[in-house]
Amino acid sequence: MAANSIAVLAALYIAFALELERPYWAMFSVFIVANPLSGAVRSRAAYRLLGTIIGASAALIMIPPLVQEPPLLCLAMAAWVGVCLWLSLLDTTPRSYVPMLAGYTATIVGLSVVNAPETIFDTAVTRVEEIGIGVICGAVAHSVIFPRNVGAALNDRIALTLRACADWTSHLLSDPEAREESVSQRLAQCVAEIHTLNTHVAFDTSDVPRTSRQIQTLQDRLALILAHLTSAQLAIDAVRARGKIPDPLSALMDPIIRWIRSVAVAPDVLGVADLRPHFVLASSAAQVPDGTRNDDDAALAQIAASHLLTLVAALDEVLQLARAIRDDKIALTPELAQEVHAARPVSLHRDAGLALVSAGAAVIAVLVACAMWIGGSWPEGAVAAQFAAIGCSFFATLDKPSARLGSALTGVLIALPVGALYQFAVLPRVDGFVSLALVLSPLLLLFSFMQTVPKLAGAALVLGITFSGALALQPQYQADFPVFLNTSLAEIVGLLVALAVNLIFRTFDPVWNAQRISRAGWRAIVALVESGSGCARGWPTQMLDRAGQILTRLGSVNAPCAANAESSLLRDLRVAVHITAIRAAEKQLDSALAPRLNAIRHAIACIYRARWQKTSAPTAATLASSIDDGIAALNLQPRSASQIRALAGLAALRADLAEHP
Amino acid sequence: MIGEVSLDGVFVPPLLLLASGAFALTLALRRVLRRLHAYRYIWHAGLFDVAMFAVALFVLAAATVPL
Repeated sequence: MAANSIAVLAALYIAFALELERPYWAMFSVFIVANPLSGAVRSRAAYRLLGTIIGASAALIMIPPLVQEPPLLCLAMAAWVGVCLWLSLLDTTPRSYVPMLAGYTATIVGLSVVNAPETIFDTAVTRVEEIGIGVICGAVAHSVIFPRNVGAALNDRIALTLRACADWTSHLLSDPEAREESVSQRLAQCVAEIHTLNTHVAFDTSDVPRTSRQIQTLQDRLALILAHLTSAQLAIDAVRARGKIPDPLSALMDPIIRWIRSVAVAPDVLGVADLRPHFVLASSAAQVPDGTRNDDDAALAQIAASHLLTLVAALDEVLQLARAIRDDKIALTPELAQEVHAARPVSLHRDAGLALVSAGAAVIAVLVACAMWIGGSWPEGAVAAQFAAIGCSFFATLDKPSARLGSALTGVLIALPVGALYQFAVLPRVDGFVSLALVLSPLLLLFSFMQTVPKLAGAALVLGITFSGALALQPQYQADFPVFLNTSLAEIVGLLVALAVNLIFRTFDPVWNAQRISRAGWRAIVALVESGSGCARGWPTQMLDRAGQILTRLGSVNAPCAANAESSLLRDLRVAVHITAIRAAEKQLDSALAPRLNAIRHAIACIYRARWQKTSAPTAATLASSIDDGIAALNLQPRSASQIRALAGLAALRADLAEHP
Repeated sequence: MIGEVSLDGVFVPPLLLLASGAFALTLALRRVLRRLHAYRYIWHAGLFDVAMFAVALFVLAAATVPL
């Protein structure tokens, strides 16, 4: 908060000292890059500078040839904004800020000089210089004064997620009646946050080893924890349904529960020297035969043991990765190290179709504002076009941008009178930078404080930007009430145009969008099932991200519907997990089994393809009989860990898809 | 440090060029120091980086401009 106010004043001072044209551009850049995490400030500063340079260059190229043809210029600007916004929406990392900013910077630089096109070069350079001063002041101040490291935040998030996982696991295993609500949504949120933090890590001040591959692997592992957990739970429930849990199985369960509890209660999970469950990792599901009962019960117990061991191995790998991310001296097991080495960045769910609609809405909004500007011969209409572009770009990721645009408009309406008060009542009495700093500091401190509170951050940004813009601080005091009123009116009109266009073209029903995302998820499952041995990397993160997005949307509409969706999303996640587990086990099994397993995969792909393409699904009985064939064939094979794993996967697939479709 | 440097017809203040060079140098140094795990022994990494930039800028300025 102090850092931010100092950065704002420093940026203003430098801009005044250099006698730049519009020092307030430097001033609000500081507000825009401000973030509690210093690494996030630095990444945003770099992205903002880059986006500004691209946008200003685009304006520089477009203005000279087109300035004599206003309609063509407007079309070119609108198209540029649309293309940039579309590119930005296809990137799910904070890097998406670069194209978005490039889009509307071109309108800010280009449209403000149409009456004096010969100044375009100076304006473009000034814009880049002032943004540069602002972001550098912000980045330096936030890195030097009480920095909060992304690395530390990342470690906190990972430790928290890990402890929560261990907690849920221990409850679910020890208490047969326990059911956790909306767990997957919370976990999905954690994984998405880790994804975002991962981008900032490269810009961090701390000494986090630059381990984005490890973080990607960790995301994938965390994404599957719930699938492993519920599979184990279902298998244990199946055993419980037949009576008491047999002794060999409970002999395995007890140390597992003890280990998970010790992870859950450890005050510093990642700091404990060695928490690996060696005793469990050394045991195998094949050690759980039970001669005293019939074969069915023994098979069920073995399947449950196999699922449990998979769960523990997954948790163990999460722990290993989390500790290796914190301290790069910790060595991973060879298999895990190999997987980390092969990890590639994955993108979270993105929707090219909806991105196109959003970009189209931005184009229309800019064109409408331009039409008002040219048609109405309204000198400040250019400002309206700029604000229409900004309004459409800022909230383009939401289902209903109009709601946020409405609150932004309220913020503007609050900030403008305050700005007017300063402009016409306070500033005339101000002489020199020190007194300016003194009169501005109360509001700067207030906005900077609001930015540190997550709930108020959006409002603070709108207030800070509007206030800076309304002040329009310039080296010489020049207040012109008609100009101020006209510009403010144009800002409001521009936002209103953005609001109207978004209301008409860009209001998606959250349920409709959730269904759209579900279909994308089913298509991904079909691809996963049919992809052969080389399956797509990063699918767990993508699947969990989709689940999180679906649940957020449904949860905002009605809760029971979201609860239903959650169980079916978890089931899809489990199906994907079992498919990959069977494929991994298959390599150690007799190749004569391949045709049977392929038939099962084909049947599953058919089911999901039918859902994705909204055609009628084949009956569950076909799948059930092919799975039964597979199980019978597998039972003829000698007992081994991979045979039991494949059996466990098939049994779980049968329960999930054929018995309760 | 008076006068401007002409980059293909665009006049750029020499300080800007020096600062960009110093920034690149700082980034490279930071990379090396991170490889060596030097940041483990540095109390305030952000402050250290800013100081390193200032030193780099001074070195470049002293090397290129006769004081």
